[in-house]
Amino acid sequence: MSRDVYVAGVGMHPFMRNAPSGRDMYFTAAMETMKDAGIKFQEVGALYNGYIGGEMMEGVTFAKDLGLTNVPIVHVENASATGSCAFREAVNAVKGGECDIAMAVGYDDMIKHTRKRAIMAMADKPKIEQTILPAAFFAMWATRRMHEAGTTVETFAKIAAKNWNHARFNKYAQRQAANIVTPEEILASNEVSYPHTTKMACAAGGGAAGAVVVTKEIAQRLANGRPLVKVTGSQAKSEHYTDGHVFLGAVIGPEDLTRVTTQALYEEAGIGPDDVDLVHVHDAFPIEELMYYELMGFCGKGEGDRMVADGETSIGGRIPFSTDGGLTARGHPGGPTGLAQVWDAVTQLRGEADKRQVEGAQNAMIHMMGAGSICIMHMLQKEA
Amino acid sequence: MISTPIEEGYFKIKGDGQPVLLGSYSPSSGNTYYPIRKLCPVTSEPVETVELPIEGELYSWTFVRMASIGSQSKKEGGGHGVGQVDLPCGTRIQTAISGELGDWEIGMKMKLALLPVKQDGDTQLCSYCFEPIK
Repeated sequence: MSRDVYVAGVGMHPFMRNAPSGRDMYFTAAMETMKDAGIKFQEVGALYNGYIGGEMMEGVTFAKDLGLTNVPIVHVENASATGSCAFREAVNAVKGGECDIAMAVGYDDMIKHTRKRAIMAMADKPKIEQTILPAAFFAMWATRRMHEAGTTVETFAKIAAKNWNHARFNKYAQRQAANIVTPEEILASNEVSYPHTTKMACAAGGGAAGAVVVTKEIAQRLANGRPLVKVTGSQAKSEHYTDGHVFLGAVIGPEDLTRVTTQALYEEAGIGPDDVDLVHVHDAFPIEELMYYELMGFCGKGEGDRMVADGETSIGGRIPFSTDGGLTARGHPGGPTGLAQVWDAVTQLRGEADKRQVEGAQNAMIHMMGAGSICIMHMLQKEA
Repeated sequence: MISTPIEEGYFKIKGDGQPVLLGSYSPSSGNTYYPIRKLCPVTSEPVETVELPIEGELYSWTFVRMASIGSQSKKEGGGHGVGQVDLPCGTRIQTAISGELGDWEIGMKMKLALLPVKQDGDTQLCSYCFEPIK
C-alpha cells in the first residue's frame, strides 16, 4: 500500500536557552500540534517521539499526559536528524496504511542533557572516538573551502547574519535580536573553532516541536479553508564511501551524502532545484549552508559565495534558505530541530509566515544531517 | 613512567616510543581504512589489519576553543588543534594536531606522535596526534 500523505498540523514550544522541563515542552508542542490539526489525541494512530538526551522510555511516560489510548509509541534517535526521522516514520505509517493519523513529537535540551553528558564522558573516560567535536569537523570544511575556493570569513559572517535576521520574525526562535544583525557583529563575537565564531555556531538550548500527518481524505476534512500541504518526497540515506572518507567521529557527511539524497528527493518529488521556493538545511555552521547551495544544485561548484554576495538566499531573494533562522538562530536543541523545520515550511506553504513569508511558496525542501552519519530530506508542496 | 594507549585497538607504541596507527587493508578493493574495520565497507569482503604510515600531508585544520580529550577545561592557549591528515596509502586521518593557531598550513608534512592525556599511577595514558615536520 502506498498512500498520499499530508501535513495537517504543526506546533512548537519556543526554543530557548533556559528551557523548562522536557515533559512540559513535550506537552506544549504536542497540544499545539493537535490543536493546529484540529484533532484529539484519541485520533492519533501512531506516535513517534524524537529525543537524544533524556532517560529510557521517557517519551512514553511524557505521552501519558496526552492520554492512555493503546497508541503504539516508538522512540526515534538519529542525532541531529532525530526530529526529521520521527517525521519520516510518521509519514511512512500513514503512507503504508498502518494508520490514518500519525504524530511526531521531538524535544530535547542540549544544555541540560546532551552537551553536559558528552563533556563529562570525555573528561572521565576519554574515548579516541570523541577527540573530534562536530564544531571542529565543520571548521575543517571551512578551512579547506577557503584554501580551495578563496572563500572569506566575511562570506560565513553574511550567511550567519542573514539567519539571525530571519529569526527576528520567528517568535519561537532562540536568538531574538532587537536590531538588524550585521556581519561585523558576527565576526566580532568570540571564536569557537577557527574560522567560526560563536554567533556563527548553532544556538544550543531546549525546545520541542511536533507534526501531525494524515491521509488526503482526512487532510481535506481538517483543512478548514487552509491549503493542503502534501509530502511529495521523503528520503533517508546513510553514508557511501568517498575519497578521503573518515570513519572516526565526529563524522557528519561526507559532503556527497547531501548531493545523492537531494537527487533522490528531486526524482521522487518530480521536480528540480528551479521549482523549489525555500530550503531548510542542517546549518549548524555557515560553511554547511554554503556547501549545500552547490550540492543541492542551486548553483554550480564554487558559485555559492556569489549567491551570498547577491543576497539570493535571503527572504526576498531567488531561493531563501533557513527562513526561520535555521540552526544558527532559531536554534538546535537536537530532537525537535527537524520538526521545527517542518513547522516553518508548513507555515510558509500555507501563507501564514507573516514577515518571514516567502511570496508564492509552492515547494519547500527540508534537509537534516545526523552525526554518524545520516541524511534525511523531505519535500513539502502546497496543494490548491 | 610507562606510556600506554588510552584505548586499545587504535594504535600501538613501538619500543622506541613511536606510535603507529592500526588500520585495515582490503585486498578486494585495494583501499586502506582507519580505524580497523570488520569488513571492507565497499565490498563487504574480509580485511587485513595493517600498520599505517606515520607521515602524511595536512588536508585541513582548525583550532578549537573547547576542552580537549581528557579535560573539562580549555588548555593554556585557549584550545587545541585538530586536523585531517592524508597518508600515502590514501587514508585520511581525523586527528588532534600539535601546535598553536598560525602553525599550520594545508599541504604541510606531518608526523604521528604521542599525545599524553592523563596519568594512572605510574602509567601515562596516551592518545595520538600529528605534529608538523620541522
